[in-house]
Amino acid sequence: MNVPVLVVQGLTVYRGTHPAVQEVSFTVPAGTDTAIIGPNGAGKSTLIQAVLGILPRQAGQIAVLGHALSNKGYLPPAVRQQIAYLPQNFLFDRRIPITVSELVGLGWDGVGPQLPWVGGRARRHAVRAALTQVEAWHLRDQLVSSLSGGETKRVLLAYCLVRPRSLLILDEAPAGLDVLGESEFYQLLYQLKQEQGWAILQISHDLDMVRRSCDRVLCMNRKLLCQGPPDHALAPEQLSLAYGPDLVRYHHTCEPHHHDY
Amino acid sequence: MTIEAELTRVIGLFQLPFMQRALMGGVLTGLMGGLLGSFTILRQLSFFSDALGHSALLGISIGLLLGFDPSWVLLPFAVVFALVVTYFLERTQLWTDALLNIIYSSSLAVGIILLSFRDEYQGGITNLLFGDILAVQTADLIFGTVLLAVCAGFIGLTLRSQILLTLHEPMAIARGVNVSAQRTTFIVLLSLVVGISIKAIGVLLISAFVVIPACAARLLSRQFTHYILISAGLGAVSAVMGMLLSALFDLPSGPSIVAVQLGIFLLAALVPTARAIAP
Repeated sequence: MNVPVLVVQGLTVYRGTHPAVQEVSFTVPAGTDTAIIGPNGAGKSTLIQAVLGILPRQAGQIAVLGHALSNKGYLPPAVRQQIAYLPQNFLFDRRIPITVSELVGLGWDGVGPQLPWVGGRARRHAVRAALTQVEAWHLRDQLVSSLSGGETKRVLLAYCLVRPRSLLILDEAPAGLDVLGESEFYQLLYQLKQEQGWAILQISHDLDMVRRSCDRVLCMNRKLLCQGPPDHALAPEQLSLAYGPDLVRYHHTCEPHHHDY
Repeated sequence: MTIEAELTRVIGLFQLPFMQRALMGGVLTGLMGGLLGSFTILRQLSFFSDALGHSALLGISIGLLLGFDPSWVLLPFAVVFALVVTYFLERTQLWTDALLNIIYSSSLAVGIILLSFRDEYQGGITNLLFGDILAVQTADLIFGTVLLAVCAGFIGLTLRSQILLTLHEPMAIARGVNVSAQRTTFIVLLSLVVGISIKAIGVLLISAFVVIPACAARLLSRQFTHYILISAGLGAVSAVMGMLLSALFDLPSGPSIVAVQLGIFLLAALVPTARAIAP
């Protein structure tokens, strides 16, 4: 439970000539759910992209499962296999001919050179198991471009699920879903988290969901303003640091909605 | 002339060594173009292959001025050119098609100016523009076969990474795909395929070999892996059919192959699957 899957120390990332993330340090223990909150432009997506090695960093250290992420974004392949990433919007060229089975299968494959037919049976079995678990097996032969928003999210969860992982990184994963779709997404996500023992690092604007479901919260606006359990990090005085006093007043006047995830 | 006599003439024609080499050269170019073309169009690099083909004229001109065999200069030029263009594309804020247009039209202009200093090569420009597949030599076939093997090996061994990279680059990076290395290797292979094919197909038509079979395959495919195989297959089939057409009606070979590719594309557009998956 307390073995960290992710350790970030003194991370600084520039977007152009301006620092988007400044000296951010935090730890994600195994099996826990950490939410990153903050206003638009606070550097949340930049932080996640630096952790994944998509963006270079100007300072700081990042370690996944005890392995340092190099400045060029290298991690040993076995460690990379332990990470799954769901982007904010799964935007791709919808003219690309790819079926649901093929997409989920990409989550199973390693990144090193391999013959396309090697491991075919194990791959098919894993894809079937993952799609069945998210109740999307019936979509297996459909083009990904033909799926609805909710179906796409389920298929992407199968992409994460098709191999055992230690860390799921979600950048506002339910973006684009309606209230019901978002609720179903979180229900499935936390059911799978329970079963798989995933640690989750996610960006979210849904403070009610964060309060109910997350173990830890990182509140940032370029710098890390506070971190800790939701009761502490979502206290009005902490939120006003990140969002300003208006949001706190708004939250006081709106009763939080309660869902059973 | 009766049909039987005509067929006998064509069969006799294909027993000539130069026709057999031309046929093999066409099939090799079709396979390589179709294979790499499948990723080229999805990564929106179609115009890149066109620009590369046109700019090859500059490489040939430089080779001639320096007194080298243009064939030896063409391949290194194509690779260096492709890498330089990639560098500019990654580091400028300009639109890709605009930048490629600047590069290819200006290098074409400089190439023609340089060629004007070499009077003895004026007649060769037509061959350069439209190619001469009948002039394919055994050495060209050997190099083409090796290049096809390298392309097939590269795509085959990195297939999943290539698909993920084509689909969603940030997800590919998150999975540990070395995007820069994969992209550079692909561009180098594409430039070699374009460079080696210019002699047979010409600078004006080479991009058709990369783009048309892949577009037809896209209309006929629902799965990515099938799409790649169909694209390479259509490239080879259209080369054979184009060569036959050329021999039957005494037409120029390269344009005949491209005409067949167009015919296949139009037929593919009429297939119900194509209508169903078209966006």
